[in-house]
Amino acid sequence: MRRPLIGMTAYAQQVRYASNELMAGMLPMTYVKAVHAVGGRAVLITPDDPDVDVIESLDGLLLSGGGDVDPERWGAPAHPETSTDRARDESEFLLVRAALDAGLPILGVCRGMQVLAVAGGGSLHQHLPDVVGNDRHRGAAGTDPLAAGAASYGRHDVVTRPGSMARALLGAHLTVNSFHHQAVDDPGAFTVTGWCPDDRVPEVLEDPTRDFVIGVQWHPERTADLRLFQGLVAAAMDRAGLQRARLAA
Amino acid sequence: MRPIIGITSYVLPATWGVWHDISTALLPYDYVAAVTEAGGRAVLLPPDDTDTDVLRALDGLVLAGGADIDPSLYGADREPLTDSAHDRDVAELDLARAALAQDFPVLGVCRGMQVMAVAAGGRLHQHLPDVLGHERHRPAPAVYGRLEARLTPGSRIAALIGDDPGIRCYHHQGVADAGTLKVTGQSDDGLPEAVEDPSKRFALGVQWHPEVTRDKRLFGALVEAAR
Repeated sequence: MRRPLIGMTAYAQQVRYASNELMAGMLPMTYVKAVHAVGGRAVLITPDDPDVDVIESLDGLLLSGGGDVDPERWGAPAHPETSTDRARDESEFLLVRAALDAGLPILGVCRGMQVLAVAGGGSLHQHLPDVVGNDRHRGAAGTDPLAAGAASYGRHDVVTRPGSMARALLGAHLTVNSFHHQAVDDPGAFTVTGWCPDDRVPEVLEDPTRDFVIGVQWHPERTADLRLFQGLVAAAMDRAGLQRARLAA
Repeated sequence: MRPIIGITSYVLPATWGVWHDISTALLPYDYVAAVTEAGGRAVLLPPDDTDTDVLRALDGLVLAGGADIDPSLYGADREPLTDSAHDRDVAELDLARAALAQDFPVLGVCRGMQVMAVAAGGRLHQHLPDVLGHERHRPAPAVYGRLEARLTPGSRIAALIGDDPGIRCYHHQGVADAGTLKVTGQSDDGLPEAVEDPSKRFALGVQWHPEVTRDKRLFGALVEAAR
């Protein structure tokens, strides 16, 4: 039986491994494993030669985490802490618009949620500590992001809006990890359906008129809670006309 | 619409930005650029041994370079310098067998050629300096061996690069037996440098690294076969 094909936006990034340093197309395996664990087949979409023809092959799209979106896209000057990747922006904004036009299920993670907001005509806070007065969304106090384990993410609560997809998928309340310094200011065409209750920072946005278009500010791929990935893969199977029975296994 | 070319990826602990030693699916960008410049749309295929149904969404396949193949997969005992990555092995052998069985266009590069040979029932030399008595296929860390391939007249590879058969190699293992594939290129020491299945639309493996020069002759032929 065919599994739904989930395209995941990847980085083009200078990386080091063993004694090598080179430009690579890449994505942390946590994303790949999360999609495979719930019955999808992950392929990575690199930001080369941007075009949208690859969308025709996909059953769902995951917008992955990464650097900041260029504030030029919502008409703001760059904050000193903003660090952008123009090639990735160009590729992902083309893909997300084409995916929305094609009715493809979409899950945005961290930067991916921010890409959705800006693609929907919204805007971002460029440096959250300036807005909320603390660093809690970027890491737990005293932790070192260089350690890069799950424990280096800040943790905080999220509450969801009654009647939303977020509520149906995740319940009224959950605790999430967090590693970001920007956040959604104006969600544009999307609806904010989850917040951090302490500072009202948007944590979930979705399009209630579509089957499955949702973005979250945290990193579900680094947790054992794969409900968002199950939701993406189930919606991708529905769209592709595939049986969902395997998900139950 | 461009043909979609799936390229198998490495999985390695990688370091970038604030992140250290994160398990990462990655692929040297030369492969992506080589496919793009040849007119294809590259997607990366992280290893997955569940099934090979991803081929349905693709038009062509590149089996990329990387670590050694687990010798137990071709019935040999492991030698001291063999360094393999089991997840990739299983997933890529499945893909190679499916591609050969379905007459699906496939280009194997370095390790990828070795995967094709093992998938076709062949086996490998586990450390070439022990067999050949020289290190010209991998002269030094991060240095490509520059060799010339002797190509079989009338073969696919001869048609593609016969007028300029200079190659860049970087490997310490090699094909000892190509199984059901035909050896159509050799270096002057007799080591197989190219294998193909002439009965297929496009099934070609090369021991060198055409992605480094973004060799349109090879990647272009794959993309054309994938149209």
